[in-house]
Parts: sequence; C-alpha cells; structure tokens
Amino acid sequence: MSERNDDFITYELQEFKLFEPLFRWARKKSLWIVAFCTGCGGIEMPPLFTARYDIERFGMMPNPSPRMADLFLITGYVTPKTLKRIIITYEMIPDPKYIIAHGSCPINGGVYWDSYNVVKQLDKYIPIDVAIAGCMPRPEAVMDGIQEIMRKIESGEADGWKRYRENYEWYRKNQDELFGEGWRERDARRWLAWI
Amino acid sequence: MDMNEKPKVEEKEVQEMEVQKLPDTKEGRLVAELLEKAPYAEGSVRRERRIEFRVPKEEVKNFLRLASEKFEILLQITVVDWLKESEFEVIYQLWSVSENVHAMVRTRIPRDDPRLPTVMDIWPVAETYEREAHEFFGVIYEGNPRLGPFILEPKEYEKHPLRKDFNMLGYVKMVYGEDFDRYDESKTNYVI
Ligand code: SF4
Repeated sequence: MSERNDDFITYELQEFKLFEPLFRWARKKSLWIVAFCTGCGGIEMPPLFTARYDIERFGMMPNPSPRMADLFLITGYVTPKTLKRIIITYEMIPDPKYIIAHGSCPINGGVYWDSYNVVKQLDKYIPIDVAIAGCMPRPEAVMDGIQEIMRKIESGEADGWKRYRENYEWYRKNQDELFGEGWRERDARRWLAWI
Repeated sequence: MDMNEKPKVEEKEVQEMEVQKLPDTKEGRLVAELLEKAPYAEGSVRRERRIEFRVPKEEVKNFLRLASEKFEILLQITVVDWLKESEFEVIYQLWSVSENVHAMVRTRIPRDDPRLPTVMDIWPVAETYEREAHEFFGVIYEGNPRLGPFILEPKEYEKHPLRKDFNMLGYVKMVYGEDFDRYDESKTNYVI
C-alpha cells in the first residue's frame, strides 16, 4: 500500500514506473497556474507574466481553470472568506498539485497579524509547498520560489497534495473550527451546485 | 432691563461673526445659500473647494435633500466612533460636479441606538455605503431594504469590528487559535 501511495503515477500506472523521472521532469516544465490573485501580491503577477520577467519561458502559464492547473499561487493575505474559495478551488485541482504562498501574510499574518479577518497560518488549512517571505516579494523572489518548487517537484519533495490526502482529518478539523461546522453545505454549495 | 438687552446684543454679534466667517468666494456663497434654506445647520468653509456642515440628526435627511440640488454625487458615507462621548459621527461626503466643491455633512447620533433615515431615494448609490456603515458600525438605516451581512462573515458581522470597543486581540485569539508566536498580550511593542 505504501509503495502504491508513493507517487501519483506509480499509483495509477505501476508498469510505467520506469518513466517516472521523465514524468516529473515534464511536470516541472509545464506548470499551469490557477489565475486566482488573492491579495496585494497579485500586483506582482502582471510584471511576472509580461515581457520584463516573462515567466512563460519556464513553461508556466496563467490559466483560469482549476481543472487544468498544477500550481496554485496564493498571492498574499488570506481572509476566511477567501479561504473558503481557496479550499474549494484547491480541491478541484487534480493531483498532483502544488502551492506557493507569497509574502509574510500566509506564513504568520504579516502586517495584518492582529487583524480580525486575516488567517494567521495558512499551512493549518491547506498544505503549502513553498513559502516566499517578504512584503511584498519582488518578482525575482517569486522566480526564486518557482525555481525552488521546480527543484522540489523533480526530487519528489513537493508532496503537499499527498499530505493533504493523508492528513485530511486534521485539515478538515481546522477548517471546520474556523468556518463552523457544515460550511461546505452552507456556502460552497451555493457557488457550486454539484458538490 | 439689562437682562433683556444682553442676549440681543450677543445674538447680533454671533450673526455678524458667522457672516464675517464666510469668505466671498464660491464656497462661501454656496454655504450661505444652503444655510439660508436650512437655518438649523452650521456651515463653514475649510479651504478652497472644501466646505463643511454640521446638522442635527433629525434634520439630516431634509438637509441632504436640499443639498442634493447642488451636490449631485454622494461620494461616501463614513462613520467615526466617539467612544468617550458615546456617539457616532456619520459623515456624508458630497461632490458637486457643477461647482467643483466637496462638502462634508456631519451629524451625531447616539451610540446605543444608532438610527438614521436612509438617503437611497436621494442618491440610489447610498445603498452600498449604508450597508457598509451598517456592517462595520451597526448603524441602522431605516428604509434600506438590504441591510445585513455584506462584506463580512456572519461571525464578524455580529461584532461590528470597526467599533472602538471591539476587542480585536481577544477576537483574534478566539478565532485563529493561540499558537502563533507573536501574539502576546503582555508585550508593549510588537515586531512585525
Ligand atoms: S505580505 Fe505584504 S504584500 Fe503580501 S499580502 Fe501581506 S501585506 Fe500584502
């Protein structure tokens, strides 16, 4: 069982284990990003995607559909209201999926740490693979984070999606504590009729 | 005889003072014009293109209706919480397109029962601003049909978080847990 859980591809297609390094390399080279800018860090996205820093040379692409994405950028502070959307969006992304958190706000609340509506520790609610410190991180820092996540994908360290699966009860407990029991039924079903 | 005379003199002086205070500019003329129609209000010119009125809360709607002839746009409704005086100060910010003048209309309402009539029938855009003021301070705008949770989560909405007596740190501790490191009530300085 543990062997089967080892990686997504081995879990699905045991006999293709031979090609695992190739798949990892391909995944790292074709990250598609959910275009969901959640805070001030969203300001870094336009220069990152346009001519000056031009992130498409890494094979990354902003993509408005969570169903076809790998990488979720959480670009800044997260309020409980946004967090609900983030969690639903995150769960819609197919495995394997990775999260980069920008700035100090998702790490510990940042400048909003004593504010009534900013989540203090994002890692309690969804698994983060790479956190970029700074308020706000420059595009260079974001690109450094991207390099880091590419390295982690290739070496298999970026396992947030696995952690989320294995510790789902813990994440779910924290989410329920924050939003109140039954928030999925109350809120998410209003936005997405099928869940 | 003396007692009868004295107040008259004072009244005259006060009136003269007010007339003197208003400068002979378009702002001064605007204020004078409005005050003529609305003698219950106080008005002054702050500086170029900024004027200010203080209105008792019973008359605020009449005053705004009068003002809306000159001031076509309602820019914002803001609330200031004067905790020690136990009052909310509601400020209507108006902009006159025809005159290029910004007016602030201030009114004070008691903190324990903050009620005001809605001004949606004068400026329909007031609906949004009133909902916001209601949500963050708990002011009730009578006649606005959509008061209720709008930007905030229901849990925050109950507390009206921008009121001065809202215990922010206690709320943070309650909602987000105590296990983040920089939270410490005994500290006097916090390092971000
Ligand atoms: S870390 Fe700074 S830039 Fe990033 S979301 Fe927080 S306040 Fe905004």
